[in-house]
Amino acid sequence: MRVAKPTVLLAFLGPTLLLLIVLRIWPATAAFVDSLYAPRSDQISLDNYRFIFSDRVFQQSLMVSAIYSLIVNPLQIAMALMLALLLNTKTAMIGLWRTLVLLPAAVPLSVSAVIWGIGLRPDGPINALLMTMGIDPQRFLTSPDQALWSIILIVSWVGVGYWMTFLLAGLQEIPKSLYEAVRIDGANRWQTFRYVTLPQLRRTLTFVLVANTVANFLVFAPVQILTQGGPRGSTNLIMNEIFTLGFVQGDRSSAAAATVVLVTVVLAVVLIQFRMMQAPEDNAA
Amino acid sequence: MLDKIKRHSATRGAVSLAVFLLSSTAALAQSTVNFLITHSDGRWESVIEAFNAQHPDITINVQVVPFADLVTAIETRVGRGDSTIDLFYADTPRIAAMSARGYLMNLDDRRDAIAEAVQSDVAMSMVSAEGSVWAYPLWTTSQFLYFNRDLLDAAGLDAPSSAIADRMTWEAVVDDARAAQQAGAPHGLLFEQVDRYYQLQALFESAGGGSGLTGEGNMTVDITNDAWVRAAEWYGDLFEIGLTPRGITPGQTTDLFARGEVAYFVSGPWSIGAFEAAEGLNYGVAPHPYFEGGTPVTATGSWAVAINPAAANLDAARTFIEFATLTEEGSRLSTTLVPNVPLHAEAMVEYMSRFDNLIPKIGPAMEIMAYELQNTAVPRPTSVGFIAFETEIGRAIGDIRNGESAAEVLADTQARLEGLLARQR
Amino acid sequence: MTTRRFSFRPLAAAACGLLFFLPIWWVAVGALRPREDIFRYLSPLSWRTLWPTDTTIANIVMLFQSDFTRALFNSVFVTVVAVAFGLILCAMAGFALAVMRFRGREFVFFLIVVSFLIPFDAIALPLFGLMLDAGLQNTYIGLILPGIGNGLAVFLYRQFFLGIPKELREAGVVDGMSTFGIFWRIYLPLSRPAHITAGLILFLFQWQAYLWPLLIAPDTKYKVAAVAIAQFTDNVEGTQYNLIFTAAFFIALIPMIIITYFQKYFTSSVASMGGKG
Repeated sequence: MRVAKPTVLLAFLGPTLLLLIVLRIWPATAAFVDSLYAPRSDQISLDNYRFIFSDRVFQQSLMVSAIYSLIVNPLQIAMALMLALLLNTKTAMIGLWRTLVLLPAAVPLSVSAVIWGIGLRPDGPINALLMTMGIDPQRFLTSPDQALWSIILIVSWVGVGYWMTFLLAGLQEIPKSLYEAVRIDGANRWQTFRYVTLPQLRRTLTFVLVANTVANFLVFAPVQILTQGGPRGSTNLIMNEIFTLGFVQGDRSSAAAATVVLVTVVLAVVLIQFRMMQAPEDNAA
Repeated sequence: MLDKIKRHSATRGAVSLAVFLLSSTAALAQSTVNFLITHSDGRWESVIEAFNAQHPDITINVQVVPFADLVTAIETRVGRGDSTIDLFYADTPRIAAMSARGYLMNLDDRRDAIAEAVQSDVAMSMVSAEGSVWAYPLWTTSQFLYFNRDLLDAAGLDAPSSAIADRMTWEAVVDDARAAQQAGAPHGLLFEQVDRYYQLQALFESAGGGSGLTGEGNMTVDITNDAWVRAAEWYGDLFEIGLTPRGITPGQTTDLFARGEVAYFVSGPWSIGAFEAAEGLNYGVAPHPYFEGGTPVTATGSWAVAINPAAANLDAARTFIEFATLTEEGSRLSTTLVPNVPLHAEAMVEYMSRFDNLIPKIGPAMEIMAYELQNTAVPRPTSVGFIAFETEIGRAIGDIRNGESAAEVLADTQARLEGLLARQR
Repeated sequence: MTTRRFSFRPLAAAACGLLFFLPIWWVAVGALRPREDIFRYLSPLSWRTLWPTDTTIANIVMLFQSDFTRALFNSVFVTVVAVAFGLILCAMAGFALAVMRFRGREFVFFLIVVSFLIPFDAIALPLFGLMLDAGLQNTYIGLILPGIGNGLAVFLYRQFFLGIPKELREAGVVDGMSTFGIFWRIYLPLSRPAHITAGLILFLFQWQAYLWPLLIAPDTKYKVAAVAIAQFTDNVEGTQYNLIFTAAFFIALIPMIIITYFQKYFTSSVASMGGKG
């Protein structure tokens, strides 16, 4: 295609780009500038960064976020993909089942946290269920070993149906003719999945991988409501630490520095993901 | 004739024009005061109604934020100079920090009027910082030991005495709570605000460990002394031995006692309303316990209202809040639907008389409260670093009740707080 | 080879749907219970845990007599407007990035990606200052504006448009269509799944928003449902879980109706046209 006319380009891209620059990039830049000034100082310095990196709680929150991301992202994408494959069919009431799996995403996150907080109470219904199955009651959110897993359970209940919906849309776009072609060749289910579904789903998967990673880095409402980062910092995701520093303790310059660190980390991760999922034709359009 | 009519209508026109002008200036003079609170809408209505009877030209517009978001809202909105907040609830221990950041209007010119209304040095000290007054004291709070008569009866235990002289020790409460639990009480002992410094400060103080903040401006952290560690270990043990259930939030505790599942419950006078509404709950009130060999201390905290210096309607805002806090009528009305204790001296007397008819049932709760407010109440420390302190102590208590070593948790918290406070000095 | 006609699939699909729905069902049951009964049947497990007894509609009556009704309306209104404008604008931007060639395209795409990995809550403070100066506090515009430009939705459209065969576009050019014509008459009709998923992104961003509405629209008149529900954690008489459950149920019910309605549009479009790439 020829190079686009500037007026046409501006009409298509301008409004959204303007909104994003004014309402996202600019405030983020302001936060970046804030991060360079120590409290009550008008000298540019790296004091805030020095402080957060020497703070054990912040160091731990980086660690917790890393572990959490390494678990939650593959887990959610695998579950979402399995659900999408399962629900990508035309049986009766399939629309209802899809809706029900997606529905948790529509409940305000704060309410989901409260519901699961009650469900996971040591004297709550989930332990009651375990006991009827002959399993000892668990401590869930009150144990440093189980709290992060409990948070992962909650955000996955919320998120899996959401990501499934994107994958389902991707699956719908795969031409039926391709499946027919490999069936004639005698491919089994796994081969069909490996050589048709997966490659055809690449663009959708790139989207889900990136968006899911970002979403999981930024989520913190369940932590804020249920554990405040504990027990012993085991659920103190970096975003929870930023919120606590900035909005509760009023240490905005530290919060700004931590935000810059977070954005940098997420950006690095996302760029790696793009590179991994890259295919030549994406840029040939 | 025609001439007369013409003139007449001209006069009428002039009159109606004048009326119009007057009414429009009246409309201009109508000012709106925005009041940021954490109590659901209707709870201030009676105050606003009574105020509007005297000042029809001032509209009070209540903006409700959830309690957990009050600090966020103030930090962001008042901090950014939002002129659409005129008045807001100010948590008293935060007054030092907020006044240092310029969030509060200086009220030194009203010091005498405020002091006369509340007649309490403690209340005055809670709204002061750096020698100045920064907020209007609104309500105060105190603490009781509530007990469930039926659960104690079932265990063959005597109800705790309501006499101050017979105040129970924590050691005795734990023994009895255990006995009650063995006799069938689901939970032995429960603090309403399971993980908040506000209610648990009394434990550390009673053990002799101090508030946790000392030194100039209360900027030195002192939470690793023996008494703090002992009190924290004692608190952690309640969960370890199962007297207190793990994993519940402050919002869920009142319902537990109201449903008759808790033998002993520590909470403020505000809970009486909820307990009176609970069907079949047979309960009583005793003085707040203390540690054996320690001093009796009760938590107290006052609610205050501050004026945003950037407010659009300073005068109107001041007129309203002085009605609500400095007049008997306003102060009394402000506690009809919010079950806190009014700080206005005369209103407090009236408030206490409201509970006279409950004395045979629950005991002389107000007599106990009056004594505690006079003699044992210790407010939270005023400090620029209080916000960080309270947040980190909340986290620490959360860890301790989940079974972590109190000494280790407090040592970690001390180290973190020293770092945080160094940035605020 | 294809003799195994019976399949467990419908059964497994139903089981998954019900499993995800279970906590919401429990909330719905709680909404029909008197306040003191909400936590009564938590443990041990019994049929009462998941089935309402002593049913009451008092919670529903009380809820809709409070300002929650207005808040729910506000939520629906701001969400509908944000989705409508957001879909058009994000689709256009995605089209530009996928189809048009221009200098700095890589950089613009980079900006779009950065825009959606900035934690919105962390920039709420400077953004609030900006909106305050613009006089947009307590306005619907202030509530809606951040929800319209959504980098993730742009990214989604770009990914989707890249998959549309360029032969279709070339055919459009041959037919003398303008760029806008190609976008409007070829790309948009082929992108129903993208509209639905992008709509979902925009919808949930606005529907779930909490901190931003709390700051920018504190007035009762502009309060949204997600904020109104938090008020029932009133500290006077303990948290009113009966009202929280009831409100949560209605907050989930509206998207449920909308999603159910759009399920039927959730079918293939490009795929039915044959091979691509």
